[in-house]
Formats: sequence, C-alpha cells, structure tokens
Amino acid sequence: MGSLLLLGVIVIWDTSRTELPNLKIAVSPNLFPYLIGYFLVILCVILAIQIIRGGTAVPEGLEAGDKIENSDYKTFAYVLISFISYLVLITRGGFVVASTVVFVGIAFSFGNRKFGRTLLIGLIFAAVTYFSFTRYLHVDLPAGILKGIL
Amino acid sequence: MNNVSSLMDGFVSALTFTNLGFGLLGTFLGTLVGVLPGIGPALAIALLLPITYTVAPSSALIMFAAIYYGAMYGGSTTSILLNTPGESGSVMTALEGNQMAKRGRAGAALATAAIGSFIAGSIATAILAFAAPEIANLAIKVGAADYVALMLVAFTTVGSLLGSSQIRGFISLAVGLVLGLVGADLQSGLTRLAFGNVSASEGIETVIVIVSIFALGEALYIASRFKDTGWTIISMKGKALMSREDWRRSWKPWLRGTAIGFPLGIIPAGGSEVPTFLSYSVEKKLSKYPGEFGKGAIEGVAGPEAANNANAAGALVPLLALGLPTSATAAVILVAFQTYQIEAGPMLFATNPDLIWTLIASLFIGNTLLLVMNLPLVRVWVQLLKIPRPYLFAGISCFALLGAYALNGSIFDLQVAIAIGIVGFLFRRFGMPITPLILGLILGPNLELQFRRALQISAGDYGTLIATPLSKILYISLILVLVAPTAIKLVKKSRVKTVK
Repeated sequence: MGSLLLLGVIVIWDTSRTELPNLKIAVSPNLFPYLIGYFLVILCVILAIQIIRGGTAVPEGLEAGDKIENSDYKTFAYVLISFISYLVLITRGGFVVASTVVFVGIAFSFGNRKFGRTLLIGLIFAAVTYFSFTRYLHVDLPAGILKGIL
Repeated sequence: MNNVSSLMDGFVSALTFTNLGFGLLGTFLGTLVGVLPGIGPALAIALLLPITYTVAPSSALIMFAAIYYGAMYGGSTTSILLNTPGESGSVMTALEGNQMAKRGRAGAALATAAIGSFIAGSIATAILAFAAPEIANLAIKVGAADYVALMLVAFTTVGSLLGSSQIRGFISLAVGLVLGLVGADLQSGLTRLAFGNVSASEGIETVIVIVSIFALGEALYIASRFKDTGWTIISMKGKALMSREDWRRSWKPWLRGTAIGFPLGIIPAGGSEVPTFLSYSVEKKLSKYPGEFGKGAIEGVAGPEAANNANAAGALVPLLALGLPTSATAAVILVAFQTYQIEAGPMLFATNPDLIWTLIASLFIGNTLLLVMNLPLVRVWVQLLKIPRPYLFAGISCFALLGAYALNGSIFDLQVAIAIGIVGFLFRRFGMPITPLILGLILGPNLELQFRRALQISAGDYGTLIATPLSKILYISLILVLVAPTAIKLVKKSRVKTVK
C-alpha cells in the first residue's frame, strides 16, 4: 500500500511538472515543451490506470511477485543528510572538510562504526583527491578553512 | 584499402607512451567497475568526465573505450565467482558460470569468458572499423527529416524494450526530455523552465545528471534497502585454463555469440540484456548436452559473454557514424565528445580522422591488454571485493559530488545533483529504467534542432518529415516496435485461452 501511495505522489509530481510548459505563449520554441508536456500527461494517465488495475511497480533488483520490503528510511535519511552537508560545507569549510564529512557520514550510514579509522581514511581520500585534482588536473577546488595547511 | 592504412596510422598514434598509459589505466578501471557490483561502465565514465577538461581528446577517449570494454570482462568475473553480475550484460553468464564454479570449474568458466570476449571483441571491432566509415558515408546524405525519424525510432525502441513496462520506459524518456528543455533555447534564445533562476537558464549540465542519477541515486537506493550482508566468494582452484574438450565446446558458441551480439548492438535495442539472453537460449537449444544447462554448461558462459562484448562494439557503430547512442554507456561517451566540441556523426570521419582511427586502434589494443591482464590477475580482482561496502559507497558519493561541483564550481549544480540523485532513487524504487532518461536528455535538444531545421528547409510544411524513403521506412518500423509487444501479448493470451 505504501508503495502505491508513493507512486501516486510521483504521478502527481510528474503531472504538476508537465503543466508548467503549457503556461507559455504559443510560439515556435514552445512546440517541443508542449509536445513533451502532453506526452507526459498522457503517460501518467496510462500509468495511473495500470496501477489501479493492479500493475504495481517492481523495484530494481527484484522480480515481479517478490515481496517488497519496507524501505529503510533511516539509512536513506542519513545518506541524504550527508549529501546536503556537502552542499553546505563546500564553500564554507572547503573541499577537504566537506569530502571528509560526507565520507564519514556515508560510511556511517552503511553500518560502519569505526569512527577513528573511517575519519582517517576519509581524510586521506579527500586530501589525495584534492591534490591530484588541483595539482595535476588543474581543476580548482576550494581550500576553505584549511587554506593555510594545504 | 584506405581504411586499412588509416587504421595503421591509428595504431601508430595509439601506441604512444601517453595513450598506452591511458589505455592501460582504462582497462584497469574498467575491470574494477565491472567487478564491483553497483557501479557500471556508464557511471565510471561519467565520474571520469571531469578529466576531459584537461586531458587531450584522444587520450581521454582511449581511456573511456578501454573502460567500456574492461567492464564487460570484469562483470563476468563476479558473475562466475559470486553469482552477482556487476553489470546487466553478465546476468546470463551468472546462470551457468556460477554453477560451473560451484562444481570446481571456475578456472574453465573464467577462461572461456575471457577468451570468448577477446575473440568476439576483436571480430566485432574489425567489422566496426570497416562498417562505420561506410555507414558514415551513407549518413552524410541523410537529411534533417531523416534524423528526426532516426531519433524517434531510437527513443521508441529504448523506451519500450528496457525495463518491465513500456509505459515506465516512456515516462523515463519524457522526464529526460523535460530536463533537456531547461535553459535557453538554442535558436530563439528564449529561456524555458528556468523559473527566473539565472543558473538554471544556462541549462542543466548533462554530466551532472548522469553522475548524480547513477552514483547518488544508487547510494540512496542501496541505503533504502540496507542490509548488512556480505557476499560469499567461491574460491578458485587451479589456473584459469581450458581443457581440449572445453575449447571444442566453446568455439562455436563464441562465434554464434558474436553474430548475435554485434547486429543487436547496432540497432537501438537498448543495451546488452537482449543479445545475451538470445545467445543463451540459442546455445541451450543447439547444445548436445541440454541436460547440463542449469548445472554448469560451458556453452552457456561462452555464448553470452561473446555476445556481450560484440554487442558493446556494435553499439559504437551508430555512435561514431551517426552520433546516435544506443546504450547508457554510449550516451556518456557522446557527452565526452560534446565536451571536446567534437560532433560525433557522419562528419566525424572527415573532420577528425586521426582521432577516430586512433580510437578504433585502441579498441584492439585494449581488448588484447584485457585478455593478457585478466586471466593471470583474476585473484587480484577478487581481493578487491573485500573492500568494505561503506567505504566503497562513501568514495563513490564523494567523487560524484566532486564531479558535480568541479564542473563549474557552482552551488546550483550541487543542488541539481542532489535533486537528481533523489529522482534516481525514486526511479529505482518504482522500477523505471534509467537509460531512456539519459537518452532523452542528450538527444532531446538534438531532436528539436533537426526538427526545426527540417521545417525551416521546407518552409513550415510538415509533410517534409515523411517525404524521404528512409523516413517512411523508419516510421513504419517505429509503429511496428510500438505495436509488436502488445500484439504478441494478445496472441499469447488468446492461445492460452484456446488451450484452456
């Protein structure tokens, strides 16, 4: 049931998205957004009909008929928070800090509890990436608060 | 014979120290991502796209081609020893290969997979070297209207053949098309779907979408289904060698696999699932030992592995000759071309002959390197599977975020990346295939361009779209692809009814 409800949300999300192109004035560059918009709306309607008739989604890696387990939203949230922390930290803290935080955060989400070791590996990983990108590939990465050390 | 001398020139430039180094690195990385479950060749190349900003085009493309081939080899190793296919083309290999390993014949299974891949790859690359320029020659005469038809066919086949349901494939495609729309319109300069955001009006970077939908989406999805499970590795005894009997039973499946895989790579049939599956069922039917199937028949490894590699090479034909990718990996390689401002397509052989022949030559070299490296190094690859998964996903995610940020150094790109990562998660959770999205994103703007070009030439007459013989043929086949699956279902249903 939960998955069905979520799928409904996706359908609505998709449809709300499709109505946006329709707001445009009808000139040539709007032809494609229109076509794609209507295409999406039609597809969503068909999908909704399919779901109502019992064709629920099959998550990747499972076969039709397999029992769909409840998603583990705690782990999911941890990973998502790690991603967002990168967003916040990259300009304020710099690349090495942000990467290390994400590394530790995700390793933690996936069940790693050896903080000291993970921190060390994450730090080495981030530092090596930082140096190889800035020195050898000439890609600029923010040094951030570690500017003096790096 | 012009092709032969061009190819020889290609070998000369591919065999420089730098290019060979990149080729070797590519085969290594390719095998690595093939071995590690959860990362495929498309993601690996997408993660490495940032290097295209600084590395010379030929070196980068050689590396990408090597990754592409390498992943096929690596995938077979995990299928056989772990029963976990590293990429979709190896699913069939796992069926028989893992059974062989359980019966102590892991060495023979690995050998037939590697040698079969090598033979198939070599034959297919040779055909590619001769076919692609010819197709490109023909394709130069192909007009804008025909391109529109070609792309629509590619969309339809990829959308309907991948994944469990046609409708989900098309939804994925449509989402990709929407993402492709964001930003300033190429011809009129009108901004679309940007909602007043300056960064968005520049469009969504393809690289970011690819990296985040694969890497971040996968990490989120694995997290949502998180279970702390390891995997059991079947240890390999003895060397990766084949007996005389194994050779006798393998060579025909190798050739048949090549014959099935290559043509199916050229047409946009959407990846390697179909050819490997076909090859498996053909071998099962033709085998003198049908009873062995399901219990470790060597033919069931040799055929699909050859088909897988030949298919990979086949997919390069439309990519190089028409600029039309038929799989996710090919689409990512096309993006690499675009970052270099090189237009893949019929003109490629005329405008960048050196580059293209170097690339083809390096495919041969990469294929040989893979054979030489793989058999003796199998044990090393298996060791890699002992990297704890938390570190693996942590590393991948860090790289993906880095790739998204380093492109323009913009926070907006990172926001997009995380949003797309969530989309990638939802797609996986609800069984929507991802390849159509990538194709829609990359080809959508192209389709619009050609469509308008065709209408400009015809001064707004829509009849021009179906005026040429080629476009007529293509539209008919498009309708067939759309209708055929439903028709087959109906026939099957009515048969079931009559039986009852």
